[in-house]
Amino acid sequence: MIQFNVSLLFTIINLIVFYLLLKKFLFKPVMGIMEKREKLIADGLKNASDSQEEAARLKAEYEKALEGAKAESIQIVEKAKKTAAGESERILQEANTEAVGILKDARETIENERKQTMNDLQSEIAGLAMQAARKIVDDTKGNQDIYDQFLKGVGDAHVNEEVK
Amino acid sequence: MAVIVGLCIIFVRNLSVENPGKVQLLLESAIGKGLDFFEDIMGKENRKYIPYLITVLIYIGIANIIGLFGFKSPTKDLNVTAALAIMSMCLIEFSGIRKNGFKHWAAHFAKPVPFVAPIMVLEIVIRPLSLCMRLFGNVLGAFVIMELLKAVAPVLIPIPFSFYFDIFDGFLQAYVFVFLTALFMNEEQE
Repeated sequence: MIQFNVSLLFTIINLIVFYLLLKKFLFKPVMGIMEKREKLIADGLKNASDSQEEAARLKAEYEKALEGAKAESIQIVEKAKKTAAGESERILQEANTEAVGILKDARETIENERKQTMNDLQSEIAGLAMQAARKIVDDTKGNQDIYDQFLKGVGDAHVNEEVK
Repeated sequence: MAVIVGLCIIFVRNLSVENPGKVQLLLESAIGKGLDFFEDIMGKENRKYIPYLITVLIYIGIANIIGLFGFKSPTKDLNVTAALAIMSMCLIEFSGIRKNGFKHWAAHFAKPVPFVAPIMVLEIVIRPLSLCMRLFGNVLGAFVIMELLKAVAPVLIPIPFSFYFDIFDGFLQAYVFVFLTALFMNEEQE
């Protein structure tokens, strides 16, 4: 039993053939599959991390945009408030000036009217006085008549004035 | 051998990446275990030797337990173990030469001191000799003991011993053989 013979060589050849066959039919496909799976998993993980990163980036972007929008809206409101306040102030001022102007106008008109009236009255009174004097000069029917006539004239003038 | 190759062809016929079947999972986990085991010993750069080592593992494992089914164990023949050991020897030295170059390989015999060179040269032969004899002795011893047991008590008694001597010892020897080969390769590459 303990002797070497040609079967040693055969065993070596058999072993080599067996190894080659196994390599072709067992290791190559199985290892290929395992490698492929590993690659698949690595790809999946990479994709996941990529998309996560992308999402984080987008989120930051949106947050930034939102913040900007908020600031902008605050600014707009502030501006609108300021504008409105200025506008109201301006309108009030305008109204004030206008009112003052109207009042002044009215006062002036009244004053003018008064002056006019005074003038009118004065000229009327002067005219009446002249008339009365003329009547006294023209008419010599007696004092009583003169008085009567004067009074009448004055009354007429007075009535006229009121009507006017 | 033909049976194993046939089984392999059947097993690997429809492998898929997406949804592996049970057989595929079993196959993958077995081969993955083997890969991890040898990678732990030899490192990633020696991946190309791993298929051979797993082949030898399968071969010796099946050769050792085939005696259970009434065949004659091939490993009981010294020629077979010697052939395996010679292959291992070639592989060990080849891996060393390939990794570090012939010069380094030739020079490493004189380390740590030139005085030990003869012993180092002897080691080339001693390593596979020990592999060969260990395997042969174990299998032959187990065979002899089992035969004696069967002669003394042919019924029931041999079963537990058969578990130990045929199955456990058979796989253990296969494991030890490839483990030591991998270890020697690693050593040779330093």
